[in-house]
Amino acid sequence: MRFPGLAAPALAIDSLSIPADSRVALTGASGSGKSTLISILTGLERVGQGRILWGDVDICTLSEGGRDRWRGANIGLVLQNFHLFPGLSAFENVLLPARLSGAMARDIRARAQDLLLRVGLARPTQMIETMSRGEMQRVAIARALLRRPGVVIADEPTASLDSDAGDAVGDLLIELSRESGCTLVVATHDPALTRRLDRRIRLVAGRIVEDGVIGERAA
Amino acid sequence: MIGFILADLRRLWAGSLVVVLLVALATALGVAVTLQERALRLGSARAADKFDLVIGAPGSETQLVLSSIFLQPSPLPLMDGTVLPRLLADPRVASAAPVGFGDSFGGYAVVGTSSGLVRDLEALAEGRVFAVAGEAVVGAAVDLPIDYAVKPTHGLAELGGHAHTELSYRIVGRLKPTGTAWDRAILVPMQAVWALHGMEAEHDEADAHHDHTHDEHASGGEAAHQPIEADAALDEDWSKVTPGLPAILVKPKSIADAYKLRQDYRDNATLAVFPGEVLTNLYATLGDAKKVLVGVTTGAQVLVAAAILLVTVLHVGQRRRQIGALRAFGAPRRAVFVIVWSELFALTASGVLLGFSLGFGAAKFIAGYLSAESGVAMPVMFAAGDGFLVSVILAFAAVLAVLPAMLAYRQPPAAALRS
Ligand SMILES: Nc1ncnc2c1ncn2[C@@H]1O[C@H](COP(=O)(O)OP(=O)(O)O)[C@@H](O)[C@H]1O
Ligand SMILES: [Mg+2]
Repeated sequence: MRFPGLAAPALAIDSLSIPADSRVALTGASGSGKSTLISILTGLERVGQGRILWGDVDICTLSEGGRDRWRGANIGLVLQNFHLFPGLSAFENVLLPARLSGAMARDIRARAQDLLLRVGLARPTQMIETMSRGEMQRVAIARALLRRPGVVIADEPTASLDSDAGDAVGDLLIELSRESGCTLVVATHDPALTRRLDRRIRLVAGRIVEDGVIGERAA
Repeated sequence: MIGFILADLRRLWAGSLVVVLLVALATALGVAVTLQERALRLGSARAADKFDLVIGAPGSETQLVLSSIFLQPSPLPLMDGTVLPRLLADPRVASAAPVGFGDSFGGYAVVGTSSGLVRDLEALAEGRVFAVAGEAVVGAAVDLPIDYAVKPTHGLAELGGHAHTELSYRIVGRLKPTGTAWDRAILVPMQAVWALHGMEAEHDEADAHHDHTHDEHASGGEAAHQPIEADAALDEDWSKVTPGLPAILVKPKSIADAYKLRQDYRDNATLAVFPGEVLTNLYATLGDAKKVLVGVTTGAQVLVAAAILLVTVLHVGQRRRQIGALRAFGAPRRAVFVIVWSELFALTASGVLLGFSLGFGAAKFIAGYLSAESGVAMPVMFAAGDGFLVSVILAFAAVLAVLPAMLAYRQPPAAALRS
């Protein structure tokens, strides 16, 4: 994976396979390519060379709209800066992507309510801009899980939170992915969070330098 | 989606308000110019409609119409005293009435004419038509009570005219509104105007040449200053030679007669005009001024459109990451396009609609002011074609909104991950 203007490729990965229902930490210094890898895994960007297989389908061969649809149905994203929309309530924020993609199943409102309760938010009608950062990230988690995605991908979900709020968010991600049996990929600098996941992939300058089962757990 | 759009606009309310107001002002400018011009044209055409044919001494047609129909104070040359008797005897003429101007009172024109014309003009709202030389009937917009004594000033008082002390008119009647300049006139017997200006038929015949202006003539003849008999009976027998007249209003028996009369009375002694025709010519000249005005407003509108386009394109650029995020969470590109397009279109469309009401209000206000000043009713109204214009403007706004929406549509979604 190359970006124009950069001599070295931003990402050069021979092969990486993430089985379903695994929990993976993606670590590496800032600029090592974590976000780039995520944007490729989620079909936000296409790779220059290579393939991204989802089951048997290479998502790089899908159209832009096809990838949007695929992502909406299969991937739940949690980002460092939340990307919640001010002016809407927590509840409306959770529903927004489903609304915009016309995926309002009949039970989806009830599910949104349940998820907000599950992440510990008792007031679904609270306006998003009046919430604390920790609460905001929990709304974002509820939003990511709404459409029961097979994979939840989080890019530095705790980096902009204090340690308590960060721990709570980490707990929620791990618990909820276990409960729903979905794959979890978390790009993070947080060693405590990394330790609690099953597998660690470390990137340096776009290459995988370490990929293995986390020490303590394996022992 | 609607909820998101509304929340977005509410959040950006200040910028949205500016966009709406800019569009509204630019639209209002164009609407006001169009409506005002139309009101002026319709209003003066209707005011002239009451008067079929005007005959005066040779000179400027425009001047003749402005003075006799719109009662603009200006010296008109006088016609020979034989014209009115000739017209009255003409079988094609249903009625002919002399009009004499030059005096004023409190900003109202004092117009000498016949009792027949007063009756033809409009029904009386109160009182009666003048019956003796010293009585007057006022137009609907003249703010003077019945029985009030009007002491006419020669010319306009503010232009240094002097008061006529020889006679004052007593108001005995008031007309219903006609929607013409005559609503602001004080109508008096023609014979009194002649008498005031020393133009009795007996000693006047000799020097009532048509090339004497009313002014010259009047100031020359006024040395006498004899008091005038206010109780003198109304004398409207104009079958013999009369003193000089600036204008005669003629009602022909038929349209064919009107054209024949207009032809017959255009020679070196008289000038016959259809007021409507003169107005049409006048508008043809004013058309250029309107073109300039329309050009200026169009320029302003294009500038506003360009400014709004620039602002929204910048705005979409600033919201790259937010738009990317919508996509990252699975919103289709189509949704992003629709959101940006509808936000901008909603703003411009409400601006256009607001602008139409603002422009209508402004035109109403200006027309009201002009009507009060001139007495000519100016109908401010939308025409059938305006509906089409609104659709054209809205279609333009819709096309304009496509550009930023297209930019948002093409925004790469990966921007959401960059901080
Ligand atoms: N759109 C882009 N154009 C050019 N270079 C980019 C672009 N996006 C990322 N990069 C570069 O790719 C490298 C990896 O970036 P990123 O994936 O954001 O790292 P991380 O998320 O691990 O901090 C960095 O050197 C960054 O400057
Ligand atoms: Mg990153």
